[in-house]
Amino acid sequence: MFNQFRCALVTGVATSLLVTSPALASTNGSFGATSTGSVTINASVPGRVRISGLTDVTFSNVDPLVAARNAQSVCVWSNTSTRGYNITATGSGATNAFTLSSAALPVVPYTVEWAPTSGRTSGAVLAAGTALTGQTSTATNSDCSAGPSASASLVVSMGSSTLQTMTAGATYNGTLTLVIAPE
Amino acid sequence: MQPSPGIRHGQLRAEWPTRRIASAIASCLVIFLGAVVIPSPACAQKVRITNVTDVDFSLIANLQVESRRSQNICLFSNSAGNAYSVAASGSGPGGSFTLANGSSSLPYDVEWSTQSGQTSGTSLSANQILSRQTSAATQQFCNSGPAASASLTIVLRAAELSRAREGNYSGSLTLLIAAE
Repeated sequence: MFNQFRCALVTGVATSLLVTSPALASTNGSFGATSTGSVTINASVPGRVRISGLTDVTFSNVDPLVAARNAQSVCVWSNTSTRGYNITATGSGATNAFTLSSAALPVVPYTVEWAPTSGRTSGAVLAAGTALTGQTSTATNSDCSAGPSASASLVVSMGSSTLQTMTAGATYNGTLTLVIAPE
Repeated sequence: MQPSPGIRHGQLRAEWPTRRIASAIASCLVIFLGAVVIPSPACAQKVRITNVTDVDFSLIANLQVESRRSQNICLFSNSAGNAYSVAASGSGPGGSFTLANGSSSLPYDVEWSTQSGQTSGTSLSANQILSRQTSAATQQFCNSGPAASASLTIVLRAAELSRAREGNYSGSLTLLIAAE
């Protein structure tokens, strides 16, 4: 049996905005052997998140009698004061369902799990279109090029019973989209 | 103050060749000895920095590109060659160039140019003197002659922005100008 699942992951970014009221305090210098001027500098950094390090998921030549599971470590970064974020996943199936399709063959479901730490092979099960809130990132750099190299785990799996309904030799495809928002 | 075209003392009249000298005299005590005009000891080399304005980056939408703000400044020096030095210090620890938001900090860079209208310049290090700068200003406040004589640029680097915590950051930058 040859089942292939390509999962193209799409990142999402959300923003929370801040408004500043800069103080006006610049001072000019006097005329002398030295002269001192000063300025106040104000900047506002908005809430930002980023997900990176995603890779496509492929299940090839899986044994339909054994559940298939693919876990990957990804980088999720948040610059909020708590480094918090939420995640919402949608599939390419009907009403954003987590399903794979192959032409006219019946669609097959898959499961998505998420963990806010890297290196996990299981996590909280995500429901399509429903935000999983209260997640916290340990990433200190927006693409994890410094600090932790990953900060979350994405797990995609297909149950044995589902695999047994799939047609051998057919290629099943779907897209999973993950939207991260700051909290 | 507008420079005087000349100075009258009894029947004597001393003509000054440039506005710059006139402006300098306007700020110094002058001793008249017959037809000779001698600057007093108090008329030492002096400088003045004016027209500085606060820097407001507002909300920085894109944290993955650097953000830069430049301003024209009037820097006047009456020294020979109109020379001066500049030293900058920030409000961060040890005078470092950092903005603060509670316990979070956001470093920035400072650049200085001896010409107005510039959006970049020589990078300044905190508390370090950049010497041998020259001013084109001919009047203390740049009310006449060039309207500005230097450029100050503040830079927030993308590398710092992309790891900055959300929030409102603030700090001050002090520029110490010395005659040379």
